Amino acid sequence: MKFAMKGAVAVATALTLIAPLAAGAQELVMSIGSRGYGGMMERNIEAFEAANPGTSVEWLKVSDVPGDSRKLYVTGLTAKSPTPDVFAIDVIWAGEFAQRGWLEPLNNYLGKDAIAAYNPSFLSAATIDGTVFAAPLYVDGTHLFYRSDLLEKYGIAVPKTWEEVIAASKTVMEGEGNPQLYGFVSMWAKIEGLFMNWLSFTGGNGATFFDADGEVAVNSPESIAATQTMVDMIYKDRIVPDSILTMKPDDARTLFQQGRAVFLMVQDFVYAPLSAADSPVAGKFDFTRNPYFEGHPDAKSTAMGGWLLAVNANSENKEAAAKLVEYFTSYDAQLAAALDENRAPGRTDVYDAPEMADATLLKKLGDDYAVGVVRPSASTGNLYPRVSEVMQTEITNALHREKTVEQALNDAAAEINSILGK
Amino acid sequence: MNRTMNLEQRTALTGIGFVTPTVIVIALILIYPIIQSVVLSFGQSSIDGSEPYRFVGLRHYATLMGDGRFWNALAVTFTFTALSIPLELALGIGLALLMNESFRGKGLARLAVLFPWALPTALNALIWRWMYNSDYGLFNAVALQSGLADRPINFLGDTSLAMASMVVVAVWKTSSFMALIILAGLQSIPRDLFEAGRMDGMTKWQEFTQITLPLLKGPILVALIIRSMDALRTFELPFNLTDGGPVNATESLSLYAYKAIFDFLDFNFGAAVVVVQFLVIFAMSLIYVFALRNKD
Amino acid sequence: MQKRPRYGLYAIVALSVLISFFPIVWLILTSFKNTAGIYAWPPQYWPDPFTFENYVSIFTNSPELLRYILNSFIVGVGATAVTLLLGGMAAYALSRLGLRFAGVLMVAILAVSMFPPVSLLPSLFQNFLNFGLLNTYTGLVLAHAGLFLPFTVWMLASYFATLPVEIEEAARMDGMGFLRIFLTIVLPLSWPGFVATGLIVFIFSWNEFPLALVLMTQNAMRTAPVGISLYPGEYAFPWETISTATVLAIIPVLVITAIFQKQIVGGLTAGAGK
Repeated sequence: MKFAMKGAVAVATALTLIAPLAAGAQELVMSIGSRGYGGMMERNIEAFEAANPGTSVEWLKVSDVPGDSRKLYVTGLTAKSPTPDVFAIDVIWAGEFAQRGWLEPLNNYLGKDAIAAYNPSFLSAATIDGTVFAAPLYVDGTHLFYRSDLLEKYGIAVPKTWEEVIAASKTVMEGEGNPQLYGFVSMWAKIEGLFMNWLSFTGGNGATFFDADGEVAVNSPESIAATQTMVDMIYKDRIVPDSILTMKPDDARTLFQQGRAVFLMVQDFVYAPLSAADSPVAGKFDFTRNPYFEGHPDAKSTAMGGWLLAVNANSENKEAAAKLVEYFTSYDAQLAAALDENRAPGRTDVYDAPEMADATLLKKLGDDYAVGVVRPSASTGNLYPRVSEVMQTEITNALHREKTVEQALNDAAAEINSILGK
Repeated sequence: MNRTMNLEQRTALTGIGFVTPTVIVIALILIYPIIQSVVLSFGQSSIDGSEPYRFVGLRHYATLMGDGRFWNALAVTFTFTALSIPLELALGIGLALLMNESFRGKGLARLAVLFPWALPTALNALIWRWMYNSDYGLFNAVALQSGLADRPINFLGDTSLAMASMVVVAVWKTSSFMALIILAGLQSIPRDLFEAGRMDGMTKWQEFTQITLPLLKGPILVALIIRSMDALRTFELPFNLTDGGPVNATESLSLYAYKAIFDFLDFNFGAAVVVVQFLVIFAMSLIYVFALRNKD
Repeated sequence: MQKRPRYGLYAIVALSVLISFFPIVWLILTSFKNTAGIYAWPPQYWPDPFTFENYVSIFTNSPELLRYILNSFIVGVGATAVTLLLGGMAAYALSRLGLRFAGVLMVAILAVSMFPPVSLLPSLFQNFLNFGLLNTYTGLVLAHAGLFLPFTVWMLASYFATLPVEIEEAARMDGMGFLRIFLTIVLPLSWPGFVATGLIVFIFSWNEFPLALVLMTQNAMRTAPVGISLYPGEYAFPWETISTATVLAIIPVLVITAIFQKQIVGGLTAGAGK
């Protein structure tokens, strides 16, 4: 026993020697996806450190796939981990995280003016009874990226409808005769992104998640028809590779970037890597709004997302952490992010800046946001994770042809009704 | 007289003293958690104790029994075990027979057998996930370039292929462990038994079925037990290879339990899942332990 | 000695060796490709260009990886030390001191070794949280000790059974205490058994996944398999980093296995032979 104690003491001593590696004097750990905020991360951190001597910021890169990073946060926050001090949260988790007591209220740290400048509808997702738990960072959405060179080669106009996308894919695939070239790729693995994609498809056919009476309408005829198109793209039209069912956004982006797909439907972030100097498709692609189905030109089909910054309620450096949040969401930093990285600002005053007149790419992205469809997270609140899980599962069932589209969506409607207690 | 009594007592006391630390650690890490999970599974409480424990009876178990995903996980676990163990056993016996021969380069061969065993299962799953990738993976490159397939094979994304793909990884990694245990059994078989057999004009096959196999019963049983317990508990393989997909086709009981606990943060329902998982596996292990005792 | 041509045998051996090594070879080759090479189609069977850039950049861009490996070492060594010490004492008592309940206890220990680790998670997570043991080496060392003690006890007990009792009896005649006998006679005599057991426990601990995943929630405290598995710093798996990290993380266990293959094989088969 004595020896065991000694051993334990020895181990413990060794550990204390190594521990300082993790803990610094005033070191903030900030956790955010590695691509989501583009080059602004390094710039902001550098500027913040220069303005706050003695404080250093470590950027903990997490997955930009929300479901993956959520898993990390959830175990860490449940364990009352003091790090990360600051982290980016998907707008769909804001309410849940705040209710679990994981987020530090920001009212006492951020000025009233700053709070008033934030995009109000975005902010409301993170506000409970007037208490603000997170600050809006940026808005994003999905777009249809396409190979402009290939469309031009075959004299095809930029497609507006799914019918045109499918026809164009077939023409190009046939013309190129390359079995490694696919028509359309996207994020159809069983992730949140799949649900976003599905909302784009069904929205493009005039379907809505809830109908006018507030009833669950995921199995409406419009919704079923749009979902059937997704299934047919894989098995009937064969313009989509089977592997789409395991693809997350960056898998699809990589394939498109390697020149192996004509169309790609994912979020804004891919624009930067696709147009980077070493990208094989740089200068050969462009993007447009997500397609709609024939006869629905006014349909809302841009699946919207957004990220906020929050302070960990168990952080040991809350003051400094809040300062960091304040810096990232400040007018200057947000303007720079908009101009240089095309990140749609989380505060409204930036849009009025005179420099914004020249931000053509952001404008173009903004045009697509104008036909945005949001996920039903506000109306389902805390139950949203379960609703989303059901939708992901049933859409996956349909895409794998484990169930017919109608059956899958009927099941989804029934399950969601039972989750929502209807 | 008094002294010998003391010696006996001292022996017993020392024995207890020597055993106690191990018993305490095992009780804390292995036994108490199971008991606590049983308690948790009958109630509703919060993780950090801010909400007091409230008894809810069999509610979580009722939810569980009505959950199709649970039954799917149970089926996946047994299918995985039933598919991988016989393959591992057949390959293990083959490898053991091979290793029992004397040939040059045996050291390398033994290393080749040991390497898969030593590789962390989680990282091994990542390596295979990369080789299975349908757009850049090694297997698809070979299949497409050799003309074996005209369309990429979606090894991990196809509901009818994912289980088979996972079984291949498990068999690749653990057949060698079977082989090692069976090899030890082989080496303990007296040589003269085979010589006697040869005198009787036995063929190699007869030798194998009539002499080798019966004597290997013990080691084979042990290997089977150890491996099937591992297969029934499998967690990091699906976690890293497929995340249980596609459509839960590879979601094992352990993975389902993990997700029940940590995806929805419901420790009470999660506890009900692990209690059932525990009962299933423990029942199997009891059967095995009795099988082992009867062997002797 | 028979002298039949044994080409068939060698062909099978060669095939087995090939099958055993190809995933690791493919992994190593992948780690020497640049990003374009990794995602090239058709795949490059040989890296072109052959580059070390992943190995350089992993140290500059991903220092956490070194931290993961360090964590694995600390936990592995700690768990091995605790397990050998406690398990050695218990095994000695159970195999040598004629305890009345020894047989029952051995079977009980065997039975608990079959518990599914995931079953322990809700409770361990909660208790470790309340006792401040999450994200500590002490916590994971303790958890691994609990997980691997049954194996250790069985292996060492079987090893002690092979030692002659006469020396210990003589020592006891001389009036030596059990602790002294254990430390000065049994331990030195049975070090090969301890080495074999220790190596295997170290590898077990290095490779252990579910408990390391749940009990270490902070990035800086993760062990190598968990850290690498959760590594996706990007939308997809960055294979250039993952393959390189995996190579670095498996080198220690593979080197140990290569050097001590005889001891490990002996240990595994002895432990299972019960």
